[in-house]
Amino acid sequence: MSGREPLVRMVNISKSFGTVQALKDVDFEVGYQEVMGLVGDNGAGKSTLIKILTGVFPPDTGEIYFEGRRVDIRSPKEARDLGIETVYQDLALIPLMSISRNFFLGREPVVRMGPLRFLDKRRMDMTVREVLSEIGIKVRSPDEPVAVLSGGERQSVAIGRAVHFGAKLLILDEPTSALSVRETHKVLDYILEAKERGLSIIFITHNIYHVYSVADRFTILEHGHKVAEFRKDEVSAEEIIEIIRSGYREPKE
Amino acid sequence: MGQKTAAGSVKSPPRFFHLFALWLRQHPEFGAFAGTVIVFIGFSFTATRFLTADSMASILTVAAELGIVSAGITFLMISGEFDLSVGSVLGVAAMIFAMTSKAGWPHFAGWVLALLTSAGIGLLNGIIVTRTRIPSFITTLGAMMFWRGILLAVTGGFPISYFPREMPLMFFALNGRFAGQFRTSALWFLGIMLLLNLVLVRTRYGNAVYATGGNREAARVLGVATDKVKLINFVISAVLAGLAGCIQFSRFLSVDPMRGLGLELEAIAAAVIGGTLLTGGAGNLIGTLFGVLLVGMVRSGLVQAGAPAYWYQAFVGLIVVVAVIVNTNLRRWALK
Ligand SMILES: Nc1ncnc2c1ncn2[C@@H]1O[C@H](COP(=O)(O)OP(=O)(O)O)[C@@H](O)[C@H]1O
Ligand SMILES: [Mg+2]
Repeated sequence: MSGREPLVRMVNISKSFGTVQALKDVDFEVGYQEVMGLVGDNGAGKSTLIKILTGVFPPDTGEIYFEGRRVDIRSPKEARDLGIETVYQDLALIPLMSISRNFFLGREPVVRMGPLRFLDKRRMDMTVREVLSEIGIKVRSPDEPVAVLSGGERQSVAIGRAVHFGAKLLILDEPTSALSVRETHKVLDYILEAKERGLSIIFITHNIYHVYSVADRFTILEHGHKVAEFRKDEVSAEEIIEIIRSGYREPKE
Repeated sequence: MGQKTAAGSVKSPPRFFHLFALWLRQHPEFGAFAGTVIVFIGFSFTATRFLTADSMASILTVAAELGIVSAGITFLMISGEFDLSVGSVLGVAAMIFAMTSKAGWPHFAGWVLALLTSAGIGLLNGIIVTRTRIPSFITTLGAMMFWRGILLAVTGGFPISYFPREMPLMFFALNGRFAGQFRTSALWFLGIMLLLNLVLVRTRYGNAVYATGGNREAARVLGVATDKVKLINFVISAVLAGLAGCIQFSRFLSVDPMRGLGLELEAIAAAVIGGTLLTGGAGNLIGTLFGVLLVGMVRSGLVQAGAPAYWYQAFVGLIVVVAVIVNTNLRRWALK
């Protein structure tokens, strides 16, 4: 990271909801092709931080730099246009809709007929078939509703979607917390594969063991403060757990 | 559908059921289609004049006016909202069309004003719902009562009639007879159904509508402008209700301030019979088409079978409940 601007730099971010101070003066960075583990207890402010980064709501104070440029991200769509893709645990896909409709939601390819534009169903289905077979998911047709997929398959499809659309930064909010052990491993493998393809990844979880195997660095949040930041070679999983367990310490200013 | 089994190498019922289940996952309208066929056959035997062109025309006349309203409601319901004010909007639009016609306006201008007013009411509904996050059930219940009240106040409770010496072209276009008892309203109805279904199934906007109702928060974080989708759908719902009001006025040439009362529930019933989820995110207009045909058949058929008119409500109520039970179980079975 020496000298070079990281992919994402968030500076002095604060956010409160009414009387709840969800984030206080948080600095946060993610390098190129780096997996950043964002950890901390429930309510620490992890989701709030990434919701600010993805334009779900604005910060009260603070600045965001993406690829070295100051950016104002005012909506999830703007974040997406920058190349920031998010996979939320329970909001990854819409169960009632078909896999291919989900995959292309908001970015559907169209064929033009005069002034009219219709979904390019053929291209949608072909692409989804390819991606699914790459991930190793077997379904009869891309028109199947997402409801027929398991939790891990849904996460994988959502990650595959981000990769397919050329994301630069992939954000995963608790991607494994509802999964079986075996499914968790599949998703973790798939995260590493996304990194191999050049993506940076923010992995949010409160299960340290899940994130420890894939992350390069860790940022620990506690009650809205950043309490520590480590490279993987500076810290063990047990030490991270101990920091989170022992509770809030004055952040070093 | 699933006739492949017969041609397949091994004729095994489980495989047929499996294929049928797969097909069913993408066709929530199947229940309404089957119901329509069953009721149609039932009335063919019990009502003597049921299988005549006149009878079909009268079913279509009822179905068309209800169906145009129900089409808008379906769109809105799929995006996760309700509109209980469509009955009142229908009344307001019909009244504007009637008053402007009586005042000697060009009919086309009166029609446009009626639709614009409807659009305004829909927009207002949409703005209130998306800004305040008050459930649309409540917001549009308020709108329903408010606009009905305005209608009563403005007319003093009296009906308005308009009997031109000859049928104006606009009235013919909206609801004239063109083949025996068949009316142009049926063409509006079918055209609107097909158009909206095309939008729903084959366009980006349709995808956004499903996503908005399927999971608003997920759609939003994926970049769908969910509030805009809802706003547009409130306007569509109200404009179609207004159009139905003008079409109905063209048929009766008179409108009283209670016109359209209770229609919102019939329109929602037809959508639900057609497989549209009350909770949003699923459904289509083919289902609604069969839903309104079913309701139309019941209304005409019961009369022709000699049943007293009050049975109509009871029968439709029964169909709604049975349809929801059947649709729910079909859905569950298909996903297994
Ligand atoms: N939209 C919101 N409105 C009000 N309070 C919120 C909102 N989002 C988060 N909070 C509060 O902010 C704090 C941090 O929440 P969150 O970022 O979700 O934590 P985490 O993801 O680390 O579990 C919590 O106290 C939570 O209750
Ligand atoms: Mg969280």
